[in-house]
Amino acid sequence: MSHTDKLGNFTSEDAPDYGDVLQCMRCGFCLPTCPTFALTGRERSSPRGRVALARAVAEQKLEFTEAVREEAFFCLDCRACTTACPSGVRAGEVMEICRSQAHQFFPLKHVGKTFREFVLQKMLTNPDLLETSMLPARLYQKLGIQWLVRHSQLLKLGPEWVAKAEGMMPELHPPLRPQLPDVVPAVGERRGRVAFFLGCIMTLMYPEVSRQTVRVLTHQGFEVATPREQKCCGAPHLTEGDRGTTRSLAQHNLDLFMALDVDAIVTDCAGCGAALKEYEELLEEAGEHNKLAAFRGKIKDVSEFLAEQGLRTDGMQPVEKVVTYHEPCHLCHAQGVSRQPRELIKAIPGIDFRELNEASWCCGSAATFSLKYTGESQQILDRKLENIQATGAELLVTANPGCHLQLAWGLKQAGMPQKVVHITELLSMATG
Amino acid sequence: MISKTAIQHLIEKLGATNVAYEKEDLLVLGYDSTPGIHHLPEVAVFPTTTEGVLAAMEIAQHEGLPIVPRGSGTGLSGGSVPVKGGMVLCLNRMNRILEIDEENLTATVEAGVVTLDLFNAVAGKGLFYPPDPGSQKISTLGGNVMEDAGGLRGLKYGVTRDYVMALKCVLPDGSILTTGGKSVKDVAGYSFKDLLVGSEGTLGIITEITVKLIPPPQDKRTFLAYFNDVRTAGEAVSKIIAAKIIPSTMEIMDKATINCVEDYVKIGLPRQMAALLLIEVDGHPAMVEEEAQGVKAILEQVKAAEIHVAKSAEEAGSLAAARRTALSALARVRPTTLLEDATVPRSRLAETFAEIERLTAKYGLTVGTFGHAGDGNLHPTVLCDERNSDEMHRAHAFYDDLYAQVLAWGGTVSGEHGIGLAKKEYLARQIGAGGVQVMKRIKRAFDPKGILNPGKIFVDDDPCTEAHIEEGFRVSH
Repeated sequence: MSHTDKLGNFTSEDAPDYGDVLQCMRCGFCLPTCPTFALTGRERSSPRGRVALARAVAEQKLEFTEAVREEAFFCLDCRACTTACPSGVRAGEVMEICRSQAHQFFPLKHVGKTFREFVLQKMLTNPDLLETSMLPARLYQKLGIQWLVRHSQLLKLGPEWVAKAEGMMPELHPPLRPQLPDVVPAVGERRGRVAFFLGCIMTLMYPEVSRQTVRVLTHQGFEVATPREQKCCGAPHLTEGDRGTTRSLAQHNLDLFMALDVDAIVTDCAGCGAALKEYEELLEEAGEHNKLAAFRGKIKDVSEFLAEQGLRTDGMQPVEKVVTYHEPCHLCHAQGVSRQPRELIKAIPGIDFRELNEASWCCGSAATFSLKYTGESQQILDRKLENIQATGAELLVTANPGCHLQLAWGLKQAGMPQKVVHITELLSMATG
Repeated sequence: MISKTAIQHLIEKLGATNVAYEKEDLLVLGYDSTPGIHHLPEVAVFPTTTEGVLAAMEIAQHEGLPIVPRGSGTGLSGGSVPVKGGMVLCLNRMNRILEIDEENLTATVEAGVVTLDLFNAVAGKGLFYPPDPGSQKISTLGGNVMEDAGGLRGLKYGVTRDYVMALKCVLPDGSILTTGGKSVKDVAGYSFKDLLVGSEGTLGIITEITVKLIPPPQDKRTFLAYFNDVRTAGEAVSKIIAAKIIPSTMEIMDKATINCVEDYVKIGLPRQMAALLLIEVDGHPAMVEEEAQGVKAILEQVKAAEIHVAKSAEEAGSLAAARRTALSALARVRPTTLLEDATVPRSRLAETFAEIERLTAKYGLTVGTFGHAGDGNLHPTVLCDERNSDEMHRAHAFYDDLYAQVLAWGGTVSGEHGIGLAKKEYLARQIGAGGVQVMKRIKRAFDPKGILNPGKIFVDDDPCTEAHIEEGFRVSH
């Protein structure tokens, strides 16, 4: 759908493609895979129902109502329905587009709008500003104010999400981006050169994880270049329905990374990987098809990349642990990377791998869903925790910071002993 | 329009979360998987007990609302579409498995239990519920009974009807009818349960179902055979049956279907082949061995291009799973997938394929054909675009011609999907006006006011007076 045609009751800016909604033949294969449908049992909260709502808006049977907006944001965007759909319907992406529509139909009130624009357009587009903004949070932890707040009743005074957000925050270290050398040489026999896409949440919340990612890559024989001018991948903007800012970020990253002489562009954040792989469609109208296709071909999640290249296991230390794996939605459903992380885990000597029941079922994190819908998010999380419990694992491996935050928080709240680690942390443990 | 008071009554009886009346909820409860059919109900209810069903029906009667039962909305003939508005009665929250009786080999479930959930629950006790419609992960037992759903195992194990032992249903007059039981034999009067199976929600609302279970086969062998010519595949099927071998599954996919399915499942199906057959024989190991030999000999005799045997149960399972996605996968190609359900005596299979090929060319259409070859039940599917009226016109002409031939061969217009809205014009052609009159009298006996799923199965006017009915089909009039 070009930007000038108007589709039914949608606005002309960023409307769904009519063909994309017609594609759904309503077979319902998506229904048993949808966590929100499992929660509510309401057809409108299912992928089939959501696409039907979008179709009704397109066919002028329905205005873009409050309920359509509600469903667009209640969708976890976990893409489990995309995996399940034999017809190739992408309900999650249709809902992302409807989020963008929602902001056009229901503009936020002044304060909310200014805040949203400030976060999405000023903060997240500017890595320096983002890093500085985390300073108070680090001080908050370092100076012992966190201890004080947690042991007072202070958190009970605010809305539920404030307490949850506070509780989810991991122990913060200084951001990784300014510390990481532009180029880290390969260790041992050199197998190639990769660029590292360092996501915002990784550098801010999990700098020590991404440090391990770089370490593992170099020990696997890859020289790692990390361009410091890289910006946010645009995933938060997509989920919040700000497609315009996503496009300008995408263009910046595309130009920056395509100027590098690398075999692959590797990321350790499933959310970033999924967004980067969507640049091709997002920037379709800019016309640089070859460049976009080449970029798309180079984007690899770190597990995907290492499995493709073959893990060098000689000299690896055994890790004598019982391990299970939670699949991030944005890795298995959005990128189709499901087999590779398991292969890597099983290749590590000493590991006792236990398959997690419903491993690819969302953990309820889903960007800001876990804060916007705290109750529903908890129900989805409980289902996950039950499955984790049943494995008897000591370590829960995952590959995305959103899942990491949610699962670590959930396990702690439930008093469960499992430690959450990123797959590259596990690989790093085995790397002498 | 339904009154506010009536909605209030429904909420009092069923609970607020079990009544939906906002437009956004109603819009998405007015369709099933049948293309091009969509109607808005006035209210939708989700009762959780038989008493709740009864209460909802009483209120609907009082308001003069038609009542349309719905399971998961995976039907393929429009059976659960509220074509005259009214109340959609969703049974999918009545989803408890009430009993698995290991002494009598039966299971009793509420109508909203998902087919595969029942299969898994009884498998856990070493028992087997064979009917497995393509939508078994989603479809409900209530829906299966109402449409008499078939599946991949129909050839050897039969269809839903063959497993229904007892039904509990609510009739429009407010009575609760229990028919059948756990007795293996039962000839006490008319067999109401057999009338209710396949009645498409027009006679009563089923709330509980008792089904027969059997011991699972001890062994199985799965073949995948490729063909350069779809008619040869048809010939292989007829020959296997003629050799007195009854496989549990004998499924066919043509080239268009193979390619769409492979686009989705990516398990290495042969894209260049004209057709493939998925054949499974099961039972006692000695019998499996003997039948497998027989099947292989026939496949070689008709010169199948390639013959493969599944190496493991997982591989066999993934092949069956791939086959189940056929219809939805065909929807990848074009926006609209018009599916049909023609069924012929098995000896006519090869000729039916030839006819489908001829008509595809005649009307200039894209058609993907798959189906239960062993049952003579084919699903020729026209891949089209509902926005193109000329193409839709040609698609309907294609089916008109095809059904004329199918009926001439003694076949049926619906093997397993039901008449619903989609095929009611064809019903009279098959059973004649006299047959339709008897069916309508049965309908009136159960539902004199015509409030249960109106507009389904029967064309409202006498079909034989309609212009498009050709002379040749009035024979039984």
